[in-house]
Amino acid sequence: MIQPREVLTRRKLVVCVGSGGVGKTTTAATMGLWAARQGRKVLVMTIDPARRLANSLGLKEFGNTETQIVVPDLPEGGQLWAMMLDTQTTFDELIQRMAPDKRTADRILTNRIYRTMSDTFAGSQEYMAAEKLYDVMTSGRYDLVVLDTPPVKNALDFFEAPGRLSRFFDRRVIKWFLQPYEEKRSFNPLAAGTSAVVFKLLSFIFGKEFLGDISEFLVLFKDMYDGFRERHEEVLRIFRSPDTSFVTIAAPTEPSMEVAGFFAEELRRRGYPRAGMIVNQVHLCAEEPLEPEILLGQAARTTGADLHERTAASLVARLGAAHGRLRQLAHSERVLIQALHKINPAGAFFVELPWLEQQVYDLGALRVVADSLFADA
Amino acid sequence: MSGAARAQADIAELIWGKVILVTGKGGVGKTSVAASLGRLAAAQGRRTLVLELDAQNPSLNAVFAAKARYEPVEVQPNLFIANLDWLNALKEWVERVIPAKRIVERILENHIVQLFLDATPGNREVVTLSKLVWLSGEFDLVVVDMPASGHATAMLRTPQEVMNLFTAGPLHQRGLEAQALLESPTTHLVLVALPEEMVVNETLETYNKVRAEVPKLKISLLVLNRAARPSLSDDERALLERLSAAYPSGAEGELLLAGRWEATLEAGTASALDRLGQEAPLLPLIDVPRLAPDGGPERLVRNLAAALARSSSRALHPGGGR
Repeated sequence: MIQPREVLTRRKLVVCVGSGGVGKTTTAATMGLWAARQGRKVLVMTIDPARRLANSLGLKEFGNTETQIVVPDLPEGGQLWAMMLDTQTTFDELIQRMAPDKRTADRILTNRIYRTMSDTFAGSQEYMAAEKLYDVMTSGRYDLVVLDTPPVKNALDFFEAPGRLSRFFDRRVIKWFLQPYEEKRSFNPLAAGTSAVVFKLLSFIFGKEFLGDISEFLVLFKDMYDGFRERHEEVLRIFRSPDTSFVTIAAPTEPSMEVAGFFAEELRRRGYPRAGMIVNQVHLCAEEPLEPEILLGQAARTTGADLHERTAASLVARLGAAHGRLRQLAHSERVLIQALHKINPAGAFFVELPWLEQQVYDLGALRVVADSLFADA
Repeated sequence: MSGAARAQADIAELIWGKVILVTGKGGVGKTSVAASLGRLAAAQGRRTLVLELDAQNPSLNAVFAAKARYEPVEVQPNLFIANLDWLNALKEWVERVIPAKRIVERILENHIVQLFLDATPGNREVVTLSKLVWLSGEFDLVVVDMPASGHATAMLRTPQEVMNLFTAGPLHQRGLEAQALLESPTTHLVLVALPEEMVVNETLETYNKVRAEVPKLKISLLVLNRAARPSLSDDERALLERLSAAYPSGAEGELLLAGRWEATLEAGTASALDRLGQEAPLLPLIDVPRLAPDGGPERLVRNLAAALARSSSRALHPGGGR
């Protein structure tokens, strides 16, 4: 069975997937810190992390800058870098790099369909995450990249959206749409075959202007389609590589479990290497009820002698009730975790991290979590 | 609690309106809140539709023990549910423009047309919102269980963007209708949040974004779900700390941990209310206690509906309690 620590010392890419709010960013940062402490040069790529975590890592500015995090006592070669992805900047940079000349690049960057598309296009964040990843992975600047995937509306988007965007730039789509235009203004639907008929009907539905705008936009892109598709395929190759590990992050709640189960199935179907699962925020509690009065009644009365006279009795009663609720919660979490265990592939690790009283927001706390996660077996 | 200036929540105004849009960060209980509001409205005799958008596996199914499809189904007297998937909505829309069903089907079956429609920016959103416009004409009230906040904000912005992109034509027309629906005084946006720092951050971000980008859309309510109202006295807290120092482990330690766990939840709620009070003082807020999960989603929604009704500043039926 592969251990979490082996993943971080041997792989070149670790992709953290899972639903939002399960501590994905924190876990990614924890992994990055631990690997840096083993002497690797690590980049943690993240999107919109909790502000305090960002601050504690020294990440204040957006805009795709790879920033080195100052970590005391790292061994020789160990470095921790972090980056927050900015979708618009990545998209703009990509256009500038791939456009055949500066004039085309400028025309695209100011095209109103492009502005709308890069801003609101569903999945452009996922696409750009993959794009930036390709960039960083091929640069050879890092021993390990930990990718914290973007929050997705529906988990499928992470896998589907990049393909959808690159399909948009599919040569056949483009050709099909440009055909009536290239056949010049006087095209005759009856003579031009089915594509022209459909095109005419579409323009009837959506308006001529709409199709005209799109076509113009596509003309600008026409020399770049192959580049887009090749890069997309490159990223898929990286995802399937044995140097890559996917780690599913979950919390013991029903929605998070559902997403985790979904990812498990999709990763399997796509042949992506699944290293294991990390379940965060697990409430630990013994199954059997406790007797608060017997355990703490006397101590409460003695220790709280100077406080309001009813304090000891009411606190002890509260502790009993709270423990009852915690037991109930722990029990229902246990059921969910067992279900999750079943979908983890044989040979993959399964780690549970307990709920922590203090939220993890600084390097010191990250180090504590890292030690419990990756302790020697 | 938060600042004294906070407006009072008025559930009656919501359920007697035409459209309620419910959004929030993933996993905060959007569906439960949408379903609860739907229940309350239906109980007042309003013909109500609760709608999910493009759900692969509609959460409403579990709540109402029914299957939400494109065509609304009645699950309780006056209460309907549906799952609005955009491909069906697109088909319906195209059929309205071109009454010849067979031609429409042939166009939409075309692989390349599908790719194109799927990838064209704003298309999904505008088609979906157009269908919502039609549905709001067919029901007294439509409650929409929107996508999570990031995606929902983009969706609310689409009509404006589509109108900017296309200055005339059918898409412009759709954009206009959708925008009019969003700006109507009987349309309400409801935000759902949890008393957790990251959720509160995202909620405030959504609140500010919507106010800036869709300024005429009314944000009528914030539901703070699973809230734990502070209940520990200062003395109890002090005693909890002292005992915790004395008993770090064992059965005693576990009891004390349970106490600190609830104290943490209460502190989380207090600081969430505090921040929301400071940064969104005019947004009416209702906090709903955590409800036991063991009764199943149907019971959860019933209890949530009751809690929402109790927090309203006036009676739910018109004329009563004003």
